[in-house]
This record gives sequence, structure tokens and C-alpha cells, in this order.
Amino acid sequence: MKITISSEPRLLHILRGVVRWRAEESGFLSSDVESLALAIDEAVSNVIRHTYLSRPDGKVSLEIRTFSDRLEFVLEDSGPKVKREDIRPRSLDEVRPGGLGTLFINCFIDESSYEGECVEGNRLRMVKYLPGRVASCDEGTGQERG
Amino acid sequence: MRVQVRSADNVTIVDCAGEIDLYSSTRLREALLKALRSGIPSVLVNMEEVTYIDSSGIATLVEGLQLSQQTKTRLGLYGLRNNARSVLELARLHKVFNIFQHEQEALEKIPSTRPFEGP
Repeated sequence: MKITISSEPRLLHILRGVVRWRAEESGFLSSDVESLALAIDEAVSNVIRHTYLSRPDGKVSLEIRTFSDRLEFVLEDSGPKVKREDIRPRSLDEVRPGGLGTLFINCFIDESSYEGECVEGNRLRMVKYLPGRVASCDEGTGQERG
Repeated sequence: MRVQVRSADNVTIVDCAGEIDLYSSTRLREALLKALRSGIPSVLVNMEEVTYIDSSGIATLVEGLQLSQQTKTRLGLYGLRNNARSVLELARLHKVFNIFQHEQEALEKIPSTRPFEGP
């Protein structure tokens, strides 16, 4: 399934709702469901704030792919290319606003990578394995369930 | 998300309910910073009904903490649900905030805490 929204913060709750529903259906624990919703929310918020500079006329697409052992989230935008070196969580020794979104993504997502074949914009792929499946997953060959 | 402000003796309580995200955190920010600038000695954020908080919500609370240092105001949080507590702990911010279980404890203890003096 794939959902496209405009880059408006007021629409974030819609994506969170879809992520929660998909994660629950896939068998994630309720605590993981909330962590996933937070991680995807942070990734989309980063696009809105840093790629579109809070302009509401951008497009953000979230595709959710369901496999027997994992969920894959592919987040696409049509903004300027992101420099990977610019994306890093802040030091936790600091007490200041900001810089925590990337930390939450890194903590709650098992794998994330920017896919380079995207000519325009950015495509961020994030993977979350079902509990107990990380060690046993066979290089991501789980069968797609649609 | 709903934000309401009420006052008791020397304490302003910011009641929050619902989901705090990039969109709704502006409402919390407005109410919290206004309360901290009002000159009242203590401000409490009631999070009993907060079902979700993201990094922008946490950033708003940290901004409030920094302002409380400037205004010498005591700032406390209470009623945190597990998810809110977890993200604060993950960000290692649970030790810099005054966190109370419930309103009664917060009202009893906030007057004896010290305003935030930096990490």
C-alpha cells in the first residue's frame, strides 16, 4: 500500500494511524507498534522540516510493504537530495531542543538506507523485523504478503 | 490535541491531552512559554492524557526547561504514560526534569525543588 500526502504537519496523524494499523495486523507487540509509529512520524517530520523547509506544497509518499518476517517502509519526497553526512543524532550530553528525531529512528528501526536510484528527491527505506526474526532472517528473503 | 491552563496558589498547571506532534506542539509551546514568563514561581505540565509525544514535543519541553532557567521558575511534569517516559529516558532527559507521579505529589513537592540550573 502507498499513501501520498502534502507536506503539512497536520496530516502526520494520518500516517501514524496507517502505520499502527499495519504493524498491529502484522503481529507487532503494542510497544513496538508505538515505536514504529514514532519512528516513521519522525522520518516524515524530517522531510517536512528539512527537505521542504516547512513549505506545505511538497509531496511525501509512504509505501508499506508487508513480508512474513518484517515490514518495510519506503518514504519518498521530491525535494533536494539529502546529504547523508548531515543526518546524525545530537549528543545526548546536551540539553537543548532538537536533534532527537534521528535518534528515535535509529533506535526503533532495524535497518535504514537511502536508495540511490531515485533521480529526483529522496527515497528512504526503513525495515522493522518482527520480534525474534532479526537473527533468523535470511538476508531479507521473507515472502511478501502484499 | 487539547491544551488548557489553570492556576492554583503559586502554581500554573498546563493540562495537555491527545497526541503531541510537529503540528500540535506549537500549542503546547505557546501555553508553556507564556506560563513560564508570567512570573509565577512554579509551572506543572499535566501529561496524564497525553497518548503520544514525538521529538518536537520533547523539544518544546526542553525549550521550556531552558526558559525556566532564565526566569528562575520551577518546572515539573506529571502523569507521564509509558511511551512518554520511554522517549524521555531514551533522550536521557528524564533526569533533568522534575517528574512526579500525579498532581497531588507534584503540588506537594514542586515548591521544594530548585529551578533548573543547567546540565
